[in-house]
Formats: sequence, C-alpha cells, structure tokens
Amino acid sequence: MTNPVTIIMIEDDEGHARLIERNIRRSGVNNEIVPFTSGTSAVNYLFGKDGTGSERKGQALLVLLDLNLPDMTGIDILKRIKENSFLKSTPVVVLTTTDDSQEIKRCYELGCNVYITKPVNYESFANAIRQLGLFFSVIKVPEAAS
Amino acid sequence: MLLTAGFLILVAISIASVLLVNKARNDSGWVTHTVEAENQINALLLEIRRAESAARGFLLTQSQDFRRDHETAVANIQPYADKLAQMIGDNAAQAANIKKLRTAIDTRLDQFKREIKFIEQNDPAGASALVLDAAAGGTAITIRDVGAAMRIEEERLLATRTIAADRSQVMASSVTIAGSGMVIALAGVSIFLVRRSSRARDEAEARLRDANLNLEFTVDERTADLREANDEIQRFAYIVSHDLRSPLVNIMGFTSELEELRGDIFRRIARLGRVAALVPSAPEDATDGAEPALEGADKQLCEDFSEAIGFIKSSIARMDRLISAILNLTREGRRQFAPEPIKMRELIENIGSSVAHQATEADAQIRIGALPDIVSDRLALEQIFSNLIDNALKYLRPGVPGDIEVRGRTKLGFAVFDIVDNGRGIDAKDHQRIFDLFRRAGTQDKPGQGIGLAHVRALVRRLGGTISVNSELNHGSTFTVTLPIQWNASVRNSRND
Repeated sequence: MTNPVTIIMIEDDEGHARLIERNIRRSGVNNEIVPFTSGTSAVNYLFGKDGTGSERKGQALLVLLDLNLPDMTGIDILKRIKENSFLKSTPVVVLTTTDDSQEIKRCYELGCNVYITKPVNYESFANAIRQLGLFFSVIKVPEAAS
Repeated sequence: MLLTAGFLILVAISIASVLLVNKARNDSGWVTHTVEAENQINALLLEIRRAESAARGFLLTQSQDFRRDHETAVANIQPYADKLAQMIGDNAAQAANIKKLRTAIDTRLDQFKREIKFIEQNDPAGASALVLDAAAGGTAITIRDVGAAMRIEEERLLATRTIAADRSQVMASSVTIAGSGMVIALAGVSIFLVRRSSRARDEAEARLRDANLNLEFTVDERTADLREANDEIQRFAYIVSHDLRSPLVNIMGFTSELEELRGDIFRRIARLGRVAALVPSAPEDATDGAEPALEGADKQLCEDFSEAIGFIKSSIARMDRLISAILNLTREGRRQFAPEPIKMRELIENIGSSVAHQATEADAQIRIGALPDIVSDRLALEQIFSNLIDNALKYLRPGVPGDIEVRGRTKLGFAVFDIVDNGRGIDAKDHQRIFDLFRRAGTQDKPGQGIGLAHVRALVRRLGGTISVNSELNHGSTFTVTLPIQWNASVRNSRND
C-alpha cells in the first residue's frame, strides 16, 4: 500500500501526536507523517515562503488538525486551507478535545472533511484513529488535478 | 404652627376690636346721655321760668291766657322733673342735687298755687307779697343755683365722657390697624415661607430625579459588570475544563499503552521463567491474549501492576466525568432561553411516561395533580422536573412502594410546584449541601456525580425562581420549585453568546 499521500499532523501536544501516530501505524498506514507542533510552522510549510501555497501545488496531502494551538486557532488554518486554490481539495481531519456541537458545525461549514473528538476513553480514541486509517485507504486524493 | 399663631392673633384682634367697639359705643352712648340730661335740665328750668313769668303776667293782667299758660307750664314741670331724676338718678351727686331741686320746685309750685288763689280772691297785694317773699326767700334763686350746679356737673361729665369716648375710639381703631398690620405681616411671612418650602421641595424633587437616574445608571452598570463577570466565569470554566481534558487524553492514552506493555512484559517474564525452570513449554504464543501463567512473586508483581493501572484508569474516568459535567453546566449557562407558554401538566406527564419503565422497576407510582401553566423555557423546565422526578425514583426506601406526587399552586405571580416522595429522605444538615456541585448525601449506593441538583438549581435561578427542600431522614422529601408565571426573558437573557 504505497500511497504517495503525505500526512501533515498539526498538533501541539507531543503526547497526542505520539498516540495518533502510533494508532495510525497500528492500523497499517505507513505514509510519511510530517509533524508540526505550532500553527505558524505548519502554515509556513503549507503555504510556503510567499504564502500562496504554490510550493505545495500538485502534492497529495492530508491534514490532521488540532483546533487548540498555542499560537493560533486551528479554525484559522482550516479556513486558509479551504480558501487557497492549491490546497482547497486537501482533505482535512479535525482532531480536538472539543465536542461542542457549535464548533463541530462551524468546522464542517468551513469545509473540514472529518471531525474527530479526542475522547479520554482510549479505546474509542484508538478506534477513531484506526478508522481514519481505513478512511485513508479509501480516500482518493486528487493527484495534481488542479 | 405659623398658621395657628396667625389664627390666634386674628381671633385676639377680633375679640379686642369687638370689645373696644362696644366700649366706644357705650362711651358715646354715655356722651349722648349726658347731653340729653343737660337738655332735660334746661327744659325743666325753662318750664319753671315759663310758669313763673306766666304767673307774673296773670298777676299783673288777670288775663285768663296767662293763667292757662301758667297751668300748662306747671303741668309740664312735674313730669320733666321725674324724667330728669330717672335719667341722672344713677349719679349720687346729681341725685342729691335733684332732691334739692325737687324740694325747691315743690315749694315754688306751692307758692304759685297760693299766688293764683290770692288773685282769684282779688287780693293782688297778698299775691305780690308772696312773689316778693319767694324772691326774697330764695326759692327761685335756689332753683337757679341748683340747676346751674347740675348743668356744671353734667358738663363736667360730658367733658370726661367725651374724652373717654375719644380714647376708646382711638384705641379701637389703633387695635384694628395694628391687627391688620399684623395680619398683613403674617401673610407676608407665610407667603415667604410657602415659597421657600416650595422651592426646597422643587430642589428636593430635582435631586430625587437625579438620584433616580443615577441609581438606574448605577444598577445598569452593576448589572453589566455582573453579567460580564458571569460570562468571564463561564468562559473560564469552559476553557479550563477544555484544557484539562488535553493532558487527560495523554494520561489515559499512555496508561492504556502501559497496560498493553504490561501484557507483553509479563508474557515475556512468564516465558523466561518457564525457560529457566525448564518446564515443558506449552505451544509458544498459542493465544496471544491469554494470561501468562505466572508463579509466586511474579504473579504478585503482575497483580500489583494491574491494580495500579486500574486505579489510574478509574481515576481518569472519574475526572473525565467531572470535567464533562462542568463543561455541560457552562454550556447550559450559555444557552439562550426561549420563553413560551407551557402546559405544565402535559410536560410532567411526558416526563412521567419517559420514566415509566424505571417507575415500574422501582414499584413506584407517579401522581400528578392540578398544575398552573406558565411561560418559560421548555427545555429548562424539562431538565428541572425530570431531574427531580428521577431523583425521587432513584432514592426510594428499599422495600416500600414508591409514591411520588407532583402538585402545584400559584402565589403572588409565582407558580409553586411541589415534588413529594415517600423515599429515604435527606438529613437536615445536608439540605444545602445537596445543591452544591459534586456533593451528595446519604447512603452512596446509587451511581451519580452530584450534578443533577446543582444543575437544577442553576436552571431555576436563571429562570428567576428558587428551589428548596423540606425533608427528614426516612420520611420522604418535598422539593419545592417556585417559578415566575410570566418569565421575562429580556432581563436575564440579553447576553449574546
């Protein structure tokens, strides 16, 4: 299962990042995972130095996004991704501790593809991530289609 | 006070005026009286003179005309003298004078009669002698002197009485003038005082208006502050509980990872142990998840490990529940209420049918009495009453069929609902405590977080009501919810979040 999709993981909590990675690997997904622990560094990577996102043009990406970041909110990043002509078709999976229905609604309105709450119950958390692996395997990332 | 003083002065002045005017009238009456008396004296003396001159005329001419004239005068004298006596009899000096005068008059009249008789007997000489005698005897002189004395006395009286009359008139008018002056002065003072007090009242009113405006402003300001503080707390609670969750996910995640590791570790220990003991091994890793067979100290170690992880996990789960509860509460606190007319009986019946299963299990019945309808938030009311009815079902006395009653009444614009049960009851010392977050009371044999009543109280307060409990251990509980019949959303629901 050699998928060229690169997983961009934007998660400030290293523990969460590690748990997510582990569970992704456990579900048999071996794609490259690029971790970022702050919003700024992730935005720099995604949109490049010029901020247009042209650097990432044609790359198959998948974004795992935490909403509570120390330097900005994940919502802003989500919005920018979905407004950018090069990145808007990139699937975004929002992963957060918030299960506030308003916020979930907001994320979907902004174009988030999947919303996963990080439950404290580890079993359901692991399950959610593993299902995400399943999701990865069926997802068809547009290959440099734009 | 001032009015009373003014009134008293007015009354005093009136009385004084009346008295003085009366006195003045009396005095002038006396003056008139004196003048009349003097007139009377003159008239009497004149009549005597007339009688005398008529008698003399008759004496000289023997004309019957003089005689008639004389008799008319004589007839007048006695009544005149009587009248005079009556007029001035009150004066002792005059009384003495008149007595003297009367004696003289009587003597003179007697002489007149005798003169007339002499003339009728044609004895003019006798008559003349008598006339001379009268003149010499001083009867006429006596009459003249006494009359003069009386006139002088009357004039003296006239003078004093006139002065008295003048004085009392002057006094009456000065009292009247003074009184009028005082009344005018009082009126002036009154007007001044009334003006001053009305000005003071106007000023006070203005100040009151200002104060009221200020007060409203202050209240608005404070309300805004409070609302802000409340919002701040809500946000704070929300953020805190949110951020608390993040590390909890890690703790739980890695604890679970540890648990997995534990399985691996102890399986390896078991295998190593078996290898060391050269025990004929069972087929290696036949079932991966099977508990590794451990002996002695290793087994103990494994159990301790499991126990520790078990405690950690249950604590985490508990903490997660608490955080969720706080989150829910703050979310409730942020929810907008939408007041609508609600048929309370229907609402309670719905709750009753949704807990019918639990009620049957607990061998309990729910009775619903007449309930007043109110205007309020439906969801909040459902949460309030289903929590209370749930509690009533949950904390029944074991072995006693449950009897739960919901009844209502209205009181001064409020609807009062009682939820009465015959359950295990609550100790008086716990009556406040049960409404606190995460606090419970009594035997802890039922699952729960200690959130329900805290939540109920928060909701009732937001709806502008109160909740209280009346209960005794083992004698059931009565929860009383008081809510405004017409809930006004504008006051407490005006925040926009």
